[in-house]
Amino acid sequence: MKKQNVRTLSLILCMFSYLLVGAAVFDALESETESSRRRILELKRTEMKKKYRLSEDDYRQIEQVVLQAEPHHAGRQWKFAGSFYFAITVITTIGYGHAAPGTDAGKVFCMFYAVLGIPLTLVMFQSLGERMNTFVRYLLRRAKQCLGLRRTEVSMENMVSVGFLSCIGTLCVGAAAFSHYEGWTFFHAYYYCFITLTTIGFGDFVALQKKEDLQEKTPYVAFSFMYILVGLTVIGAFLNLVVLRFLTMNTEDERRDAQERASIKRERGLLTMGGITFFCNFYKLIKNEKLTPSIQPLCYVKPKDVQE
Amino acid sequence: MKKQNVRTLVLIMSIFTYLLVGAAVFDTLESKQERSQKRKLDERKWELIQKYNLTKVNFDELEVVMLQLKPHKAGVQWKFAGSFYFAITVITTIGYGHAAPSTDSGKVFCMFYALLGIPLTLVMFQSMGERINTLVRFLFHRVKQCLGLHHTEVSMANMVTVGFFSCMSTLCVGAAAFSHYEGWSFFHAYYYCFITLTTIGFGDYVALQKDHALQNDPRYVAFCFVYILTGLTVIGAFLNLVVLRFLMMNTEDERRDAEQKALLSTRGEKNADGGLSAVSVSASTSSSTPLATTTGGTKRGPKDVYNEVLGFQTVCSCLWYRSRENLQGQGSIPMIINRDLGFSDQYPGDTGCVCSPNQCISSIASGLNFLTPFRAFAKRRSSV
Repeated sequence: MKKQNVRTLSLILCMFSYLLVGAAVFDALESETESSRRRILELKRTEMKKKYRLSEDDYRQIEQVVLQAEPHHAGRQWKFAGSFYFAITVITTIGYGHAAPGTDAGKVFCMFYAVLGIPLTLVMFQSLGERMNTFVRYLLRRAKQCLGLRRTEVSMENMVSVGFLSCIGTLCVGAAAFSHYEGWTFFHAYYYCFITLTTIGFGDFVALQKKEDLQEKTPYVAFSFMYILVGLTVIGAFLNLVVLRFLTMNTEDERRDAQERASIKRERGLLTMGGITFFCNFYKLIKNEKLTPSIQPLCYVKPKDVQE
Repeated sequence: MKKQNVRTLVLIMSIFTYLLVGAAVFDTLESKQERSQKRKLDERKWELIQKYNLTKVNFDELEVVMLQLKPHKAGVQWKFAGSFYFAITVITTIGYGHAAPSTDSGKVFCMFYALLGIPLTLVMFQSMGERINTLVRFLFHRVKQCLGLHHTEVSMANMVTVGFFSCMSTLCVGAAAFSHYEGWSFFHAYYYCFITLTTIGFGDYVALQKDHALQNDPRYVAFCFVYILTGLTVIGAFLNLVVLRFLMMNTEDERRDAEQKALLSTRGEKNADGGLSAVSVSASTSSSTPLATTTGGTKRGPKDVYNEVLGFQTVCSCLWYRSRENLQGQGSIPMIINRDLGFSDQYPGDTGCVCSPNQCISSIASGLNFLTPFRAFAKRRSSV
């Protein structure tokens, strides 16, 4: 089978096995905690219903209000700063969901906004990432020259190590900052930065959600936005270095196959023409006739040049 | 400034402008509704507090419990089906957040899982998307042939149209299915499919959260998983067709710049070497005009030409070569036909001699007329 098809099939199988393994592990890690926690909460609920003398219906009513009021706890989400934050989560596909368009018009605009914004953002991050990689390559070469090393070319391993270290560095810087400002543990802040910069964006931890931070703490707001965009650039640069070549593998193979097919066709065509001329000449030799000039494409004899 | 730098700066500017414009529009569309909704909810809250004789503290207590119970309302989230759903949302980066690891070990495993899973998934979707595009191109080509059209090549516009329509229909199919099973309006289901397949994944609408569907309705669960993965493949194919080339632009330009630099430096070396070095036309050089540039430089006399011709007296070497203008004035000259090496890439190696022995000798002989003094000399020698 063609190489591209084999590659695609193995990737599909890999992904399915990866999903199955992941599901099994998450099940093992989380199921028990989930069921025990649920039991505790349900007990508490019954307790409270009894304490406040609420029927199921009453409870349902209160619950509805509480759940609807949840996004409002974090303050105004749709003023300019909040909308800017939302726009970032849309075009980078992070999509926390801490705020989602409530109006239908908002939903429609969100869809059109994403259709144009997401490819634009992808191209921008890859473009900037490539520039960063080129710059880092240049700096590394200079550093190697300054250190007086013999071989000053920057190898792929050098680039990958630098890229990896910068990713880890970015995550740690973010973790330190957010754990300080949001009051999370370092681990939770690190988890938040990771989930954000890989654009997964669960929304279980979201920055700028403490009591009107979006409206009041402007420098922190600016820092958060810059952190997300710069962090995504660093991750994008690493992806550009390591992953992008694999995204074009099938396309390159297909192009090479097409070129080979075209060249084989041309060879065959010319061999046929050459063969025909050869046999014609041979025939004429036997018959002692004037020979035809050799084939134009092969030997590039243009009639007018022969006369010169 | 270099093209790549200009391009990058322009893109950065456009993103910032795009964000500013988007923020302004979202502000206009949503702010008012947010304010009125908050007011209504606050009123309702006070109403309920009065009705059930609660204090604020009691209410806050209730609130905490209710919010914590929220993810559990949708059913068991971490049994195998739910975990599989979660794993999908991680490696495709959709990340609804309807379920998120609560244990620390879950969080750690989630990070490592994503680290390997996300690139694997990206490569898989692009690979699969490229295969789909090739298949579609082939089918389109066949269709054009069957319809008896003149031009049977599939243009980029054709492919983009087909890709766009398949994306739209994927979204519509999903919208129809989810609006039926989840009880959403068609528009909300369409919005859900769109947000899912662009991997934004807000989590305001999440499938499989009603009536414990994850545990009770395996067929619907399977449909959801298949829909998400297939839909992402279709979107991936469209991105592969339209966007992937732009992701490579800077890298390609950088590579081209490097090649040009290398080419210029080697060509400079060649010109320094001088004329006859490139006479051995073994088609090893890949530049298109090797002989023209190198032999045209130095002035060569008849002796050089004679040496050249003698060097090629092996009859069946089918090298026909043409010398430059400075030799053409000296009467009949050997036809040194420049073999256009631009074509040498096309046929690996010589495809065989197609000239006959007589042809080679006659042309060389006809060109050696100016060498009669030498020939006379040679004759004299032989007589002795």
